[in-house]
Amino acid sequence: MSEATATPPAGLNADMEEAGFYHECALNGSWTASRLAMGGLSFLFGSFLFAYFYLRSLNSGGRWEGSGYHAPSMIMGTVMMLMVLISAGINYAAVQRIKAGHKKAWQIGGVIALLLGLATISMQIFELLNLPFYPASSGFASVFVGFYPVFIIVVLSAMIWLETLLARSRFIPGIAFVEQPPTYEEAFVVQRFQASVSGFTAIWNYLAVIAILFWFLFYVI
Amino acid sequence: MAIEIEPEKAQGPSGPVHAAPGNSKPWWARPAVHTGLIGAVIGYIIGHWLGNLISPATAGVSSFSTGLSDVRNWPLVLGYVFGTIGWLAGLGVFNDLGRLMLGKPLPDAEHAPAGGVAKYFRYTLDHKVVGIQYLFGMTTYFLTGGLFAMAIRTELLSPTYHVLNASQYLMVVGEHSTMMMMMMSSVVLGPFGQFFAPLMIGSKRMAFPRIEALAFWLTPAAYVILLSGILLGGFPTGWTGYEPLATQAGPGMDTYALAFGLMGISLILAGFNLIVTYINYRAPGMRWSRLPMFVWSMFTVSFLQVLSVPVLVAGLYMMLMDRTAQTAFFTNQLGGSSYLWEDVFWFFGHPEVYILALPGFGVVSEIIPVFTRKPLFGYRVAAAGMIGVSLLSFFVWQHHLFDSGINPDMRPLFMLTTELISIPTGFIYLVAAGTFWKAKITFSVPMLFAIAMYFNFLIGGVSGVFLSDVPADVTEHGSFFVMAHFHYTIMGGLIFAFMAGIYYWLPKMLGVKMNEKLGKWHFWTMFITFNSTFLPLFALGMMGMPRRVFEYQRNLQTLNDWVSISSYLLGVSLLIFLINLIMSTLVWRVKESGNPWRSRGLEWQVSSPPPPENFERVPVVLSHPYLYGVKDAPPVADLNPPVGVVASAYASAGLEA
Repeated sequence: MSEATATPPAGLNADMEEAGFYHECALNGSWTASRLAMGGLSFLFGSFLFAYFYLRSLNSGGRWEGSGYHAPSMIMGTVMMLMVLISAGINYAAVQRIKAGHKKAWQIGGVIALLLGLATISMQIFELLNLPFYPASSGFASVFVGFYPVFIIVVLSAMIWLETLLARSRFIPGIAFVEQPPTYEEAFVVQRFQASVSGFTAIWNYLAVIAILFWFLFYVI
Repeated sequence: MAIEIEPEKAQGPSGPVHAAPGNSKPWWARPAVHTGLIGAVIGYIIGHWLGNLISPATAGVSSFSTGLSDVRNWPLVLGYVFGTIGWLAGLGVFNDLGRLMLGKPLPDAEHAPAGGVAKYFRYTLDHKVVGIQYLFGMTTYFLTGGLFAMAIRTELLSPTYHVLNASQYLMVVGEHSTMMMMMMSSVVLGPFGQFFAPLMIGSKRMAFPRIEALAFWLTPAAYVILLSGILLGGFPTGWTGYEPLATQAGPGMDTYALAFGLMGISLILAGFNLIVTYINYRAPGMRWSRLPMFVWSMFTVSFLQVLSVPVLVAGLYMMLMDRTAQTAFFTNQLGGSSYLWEDVFWFFGHPEVYILALPGFGVVSEIIPVFTRKPLFGYRVAAAGMIGVSLLSFFVWQHHLFDSGINPDMRPLFMLTTELISIPTGFIYLVAAGTFWKAKITFSVPMLFAIAMYFNFLIGGVSGVFLSDVPADVTEHGSFFVMAHFHYTIMGGLIFAFMAGIYYWLPKMLGVKMNEKLGKWHFWTMFITFNSTFLPLFALGMMGMPRRVFEYQRNLQTLNDWVSISSYLLGVSLLIFLINLIMSTLVWRVKESGNPWRSRGLEWQVSSPPPPENFERVPVVLSHPYLYGVKDAPPVADLNPPVGVVASAYASAGLEA
């Protein structure tokens, strides 16, 4: 055990040491949690992916699309997918800004990403209420009507997360992102915030990929 | 889904520590079960009203979709959904989310003194409290499911004279099976997994205590919703919820989907929290090669939960959409397929079997080295066995569909994968056999239950290998033989391990020891009556007794009567356990504050019950937990390491003061 012979840094006491230990655990935990959430979500969305291909290949009773099939609006679907994509892109660019110490730039980017996410949710609800087919009209209709409410709930959860980050950022001085704060408590707060932003960005980018995938399935092929 | 790292004590020590909210308020004004109930009622009323508002809008859909269920249970389903949200809101689950959305700091509620018994009826963030909540919660589930089992056996006393009619019988079977499956998934992961996760890895805390507490508080809601199905006529499908019967069934089917779905979400959250905790919150020196076997079992099971249970939740959601929004996921004539349900359900359902089996092996692997005073034989083999079982469990689900009309060419592949899984399971038996070899065994109550677990699971496992063969499966499918097989693995395996765990760990959890004499009475009566109940079911199955049928051939009555009487005696045995549990914890309270089993486990190195913060300092783990009988074995951990030792573990991150 090499650590058993370590010399304590000057001024270190047991409470500080423990605080640092659990801080480090929390930072790593944030990374693990966001990646694990992506794994779980992949299986959730994967169920709909499976249903899509299963019912499509089975074409039970010739009703994968059914007679008199009307496709959902390509324009609306594309706009919604692009909004998620742009939101994720703006957030990603804003995260690069906060890494460079520009808190304000991240906040502006974050607010735009949030608004785009909420607008997507609103449009998706509008689309679900005005579909050109009944839910039971075909296998396609069932998967479409089944998938998007789940996607809306997940996106809404992500937007709530983003909102909490924006709210928290108001109480962190901008200077803390530029130079090391004077106390380790303040440094921990900033690092936790950054870890959470990083986790959110990973999830939001992932959801953008999911949006593209299902747009391709529902609107393109 | 918002992942939030708690501002923990690390925010201090000199920084602001926010008091837990509302401690100054009178008890009735603080969030607890009573406010949760009020929230549930209000939520149900709102949901029911909203459902009535939506229902006319879907009427046109129904008229279009001939062949679908007439049931459009929007009021019922939304009532339960909003009722659950209201229940959680009343408990105060969303309070901290609200604070975060306003940018306010979170209170240090995790370490706030909750006070007395009241903390068990609150949304408490201490993992030890959550573990005990789970213990009593899951025991309630188990006893309720057991009463349904008694009702089944009472009906089967006679082939022609009926206590229950056919639909009532199916309802009771459905309630029994679903409640038991929901409970079994959490019966070890809940009480022991949550209580001991940080203690066994040397941590003072969980990664996400709020998610952990939420996972528990979803289970009472699931319990009430499932039971309410009785008032709605129950559901005829059993726990498998097969389509198209599920779409055709009455409103009781919605309670199945909602309750099972809530339990699924609870399992995902609990597993998620455990994985993050195990990976990131291990004490310095707690290498993967020193992880207790129980932690390995929880770790692998948690992965199964996080990855397989979302598929169940998605399937149940599709079922509810078919029954409310009138989609046609599972309606063949409208472009859906009932096979889709079978695939989705069993993709979850078979890993679920190992979600039930592995925790049991984790518990007994923890116990046998203590009572043989020998190191666990083949530690790495045991860990590899658990990982192997977990991985393979994702590739066997089609064996549940052998008899359903699937492409026959698919059968040999899934027969092979199913048989393969017996190899890593065999690893675990090898480990047990090696540990028992030439050992001087102390036959205490936990050890008796552990040995019985191996015995029972062997019968269940071997009959499982037999059933994995296509010809055998085609012959025995749907018979009592299959039922005997899975009761041997689940009740004979998991529940015996759960009992072993209670007798072993209760002194640690509550600081009181269970009565040894009553414990032995409990063990012997349970072991004999369990085998007397379930062993004849193999014979009944071979003689042609089908599952889920309330009338049977006259020549099967003698064996059925034997089984029913045995099951009543099994109930009496469980009553002995219940009396022992209640009397030992509430009345006799024989204090046990030390280490009664002389265990090397890290959890036993602190006082019983553990102090609020688990450890005074972050411990440094020095050696393997199973070095029993090893001369000059180093202590398992330094509980009071000098300042600087722990810091050096994370010094590379440059976080020194």
